[in-house]
Amino acid sequence: MNERVKTFVGAGVTAVDLDAELMLRVRDGDGASFGVLLEKHRVPVVHFLYRMVQDHAVAEELAQEVFLRVYRSRATYEPTAKFTTWLFRIATHLALNALRDGRRDRAQERLDETSPDMPARQVPDVRPSVEQSMVYQAKLDEVRRAVAGLPEKQRAAVLMHKYHEMEYTQIAKVLNCSESAVKSLLFRAYETLRARLAHMA
Amino acid sequence: MKCPIDSRETEVLVAYSSGLLEPEKAPVLSAHLESCPACREFVHAQKAVWDALDGFQAPPVSADFNRRLYQQIDQPASWIARLMRSLQESGLRQLVPIAASAGVVLMAGLLLQHNVTAPQAQRQVAVDSIQAIQPEEVENALNEMEALSQLSRHVDAGNADSKM
Repeated sequence: MNERVKTFVGAGVTAVDLDAELMLRVRDGDGASFGVLLEKHRVPVVHFLYRMVQDHAVAEELAQEVFLRVYRSRATYEPTAKFTTWLFRIATHLALNALRDGRRDRAQERLDETSPDMPARQVPDVRPSVEQSMVYQAKLDEVRRAVAGLPEKQRAAVLMHKYHEMEYTQIAKVLNCSESAVKSLLFRAYETLRARLAHMA
Repeated sequence: MKCPIDSRETEVLVAYSSGLLEPEKAPVLSAHLESCPACREFVHAQKAVWDALDGFQAPPVSADFNRRLYQQIDQPASWIARLMRSLQESGLRQLVPIAASAGVVLMAGLLLQHNVTAPQAQRQVAVDSIQAIQPEEVENALNEMEALSQLSRHVDAGNADSKM
């Protein structure tokens, strides 16, 4: 086991952070390792940012900045946390800044119309009827509005918990808060979402 | 087991609803749900939320994402850009528009006071920068001007000292 790479103990299991090992290689001048990290984390980062700011163009712009910062800080990189914790910390920071800078105005405008960003509904073999498409779009808009209506930190916590399967401890490190604070964020966020979305069962 | 709602440990119910509860805990919670309507209702509603969130798909990443990123990587970061990034990362980003405004005022004052006519090349660069529609580009141009004005003040101060 490479002693340069810190091991992270959770639930009694020791796991080597292979991403951290790749990033150390980037620090040592291995550009190909950066490409590997990019391929592995590009989609999750863009999708996280998209769900945060709900604007595809802004999400990709922010994601570019995330990886740019990762690359430009390679010389001083130290694996003091899981690589994904560091990555999502940068992404969350940029997303929160973007939202506070008012880019939410653009996102809110797009919520009021059918977004051209959204992927077509995946219905195998059978083309959906117009009514089915309208129902699907209405439900999707309702979900997007519910998520967009969450306070920013609650939104970030839910997205990391739901779509990136992060445990409370990691979310706490990303948000730079305590685990009990994360529990509180998720409690309130899911309570709000249940109130808005439970009827969709 | 204690009721998760009464003991304010609803993360257990959230985990159960999403199928992420530890296998050894699931049977115990299932047994509790049979006798607790409040927890059953919670789980039912939380499952609906989970299913609804499953439908919130993100669009695919653009095909030229990597190309655009490597283009930026290949561009060397100016010392001004590095300084601005450092300010932003240290939480002093609120000072950026103030500094930019101060730069504009200083530059305007400098031009009026010294009647400086910029060389053709510098003027063209300034015009090109002003024509940029991206706010960040305008901000960067203002920052460059502010840095130039500071340099000019240092030069003037040096000349004044040498004359004394």
